[in-house]
Amino acid sequence: MAAIPLLLGTALAGFLAFLAGIFEDSESNAGSASNPNSQVQLAPQIGNRHRYFNKAISGEPPANALWATTAATIAYLLTAHFGGDAFSMLVASIIGAAASTLLLCAYGVLSHISRIASMKNFEQTLYWDSLLTPLPLDAAFGFLTALMLTLLAFAAHSLLGNPFSVPLLAFFFGITIGAIGSSTGDIYYGAERLYQHYIFGSGIPISVQGDIDVKGEYGYRNSVDTPYFTMRFGGLVTGLAFGILIFLDAWSRLFTFAGVWTSVIVVSVLVLIILIFIYLLEVYTRKRYGRYTED
Amino acid sequence: MVDPLIATIMIIAGGVLVGVCVHFIPASATGAMAAATGIATGPSMLSAGAGLTGIYAAAYSIDSGLVLVIVSGAVGSALMLLITIFCGNIMLAFGIGAPPVSGQTASGKSTFGGTKDIITGFEQEGYASPGTDGHGMPFQTAVSGTIGALMGGAGGALVFYAVYSMTLPGIATENAVTLAGIVAAGVFLINSVLPAYVLVGKTEGMFDMKIRSMHRTFISCLVTSSIVACVIYAISWLAVSEVIV
Repeated sequence: MAAIPLLLGTALAGFLAFLAGIFEDSESNAGSASNPNSQVQLAPQIGNRHRYFNKAISGEPPANALWATTAATIAYLLTAHFGGDAFSMLVASIIGAAASTLLLCAYGVLSHISRIASMKNFEQTLYWDSLLTPLPLDAAFGFLTALMLTLLAFAAHSLLGNPFSVPLLAFFFGITIGAIGSSTGDIYYGAERLYQHYIFGSGIPISVQGDIDVKGEYGYRNSVDTPYFTMRFGGLVTGLAFGILIFLDAWSRLFTFAGVWTSVIVVSVLVLIILIFIYLLEVYTRKRYGRYTED
Repeated sequence: MVDPLIATIMIIAGGVLVGVCVHFIPASATGAMAAATGIATGPSMLSAGAGLTGIYAAAYSIDSGLVLVIVSGAVGSALMLLITIFCGNIMLAFGIGAPPVSGQTASGKSTFGGTKDIITGFEQEGYASPGTDGHGMPFQTAVSGTIGALMGGAGGALVFYAVYSMTLPGIATENAVTLAGIVAAGVFLINSVLPAYVLVGKTEGMFDMKIRSMHRTFISCLVTSSIVACVIYAISWLAVSEVIV
């Protein structure tokens, strides 16, 4: 029977990772921060003036690693200096996440302004409302992501017993969540939300890229509406991916039937099971959608 | 623990493995618009995400010997990549409404020729959305990605264990682990970015013709990793010999 901290840590880490995934995807979508930012950037060049908040500071993995590591470093220093229990760790994490959110806001504002300014030749206007309205929402999601990753790093270090220090764990989680977020949730933003006026059931042809939705359900579309839409599916699947990863990784260490090799055996079996699921999903989609036919 | 000179060779080998692994991981930035086959992000960053998960997993087994560290890193990395592929395909199937299909294979430009998935035998031609170069991760690319992730995770873990061995005599265990983690992450990031110059933002793994340019990645990663390994060796030697404290 595994120790109580290990069981608690496994459940807590999985849950925190699930929440972090949802918040990370929403943050990147509210700020057009990942791969689909190319479409927002391209839109003015083909005559689509838009009101999207476009704050791609860097690739999603390094950006999230920066927010998470900043928050975790501050939180770790505060707890190391003042000491204390789980509650003080939580307070320190909140302070750390708030500090990293300030950084996010500063970079976000400068990034949006400079990106829009670079589109001056294509008559893209710098709308202040398209910057100031989504910024607090984006910052809120950024804050929650940094907070969840910091708490996850503390949980992995103290409950799961990972030998890495808390800030380094936060860096690792930041890179990983950025890679997962930009690989899963972004497809829903880039291929569905930005192109809702194209028929469902198809990838976006290269020839129409940049022809994004500039008008929404009412009036001009803005980046506040985006997470409201993407969180229902894209955010959840991103959360599921990161949550399952952290949970299964920790869960594989709860068993001891083969000594030190137990975890490797469990993860190897899991890898095979996921491969089977990938195969079954492909079979299902091929039967469900079939070949493309001329309409 | 291993001898510092062997550890230096391990860092070079790990760096090269990391660089080569990127060629096997199917990824494409335009995949985010479901306009190309592969996981919807840059190959380098995706490999970094998978590799760092491997190092994270390997850290739990740091006291159990080299072999376990390498295998833990490899399977941890593969787990991350396969979960990402599975969830990416879920997104494509239910969010976009399209089946996973290999664009290169559909157009007959796959490494092995033909228009069928080489493992499942599924026909690829006709399933890609018009005007796109495929979308999602069909089974053959998932298998290629698994091979790549196993290599990348093993490479990262190799560097991690080598740096841990080199620095342990000089500093406390918990500091040595974290330092090794930082250096391994750095070596991983350096070597996973280098193939980007060959892949230019898109690859379908071992079924993409770009796999034939792997020797360029191999040479560039070998040179870079050798320089990095020499620097790490020199600093570790100075620290362990207490020349610098």
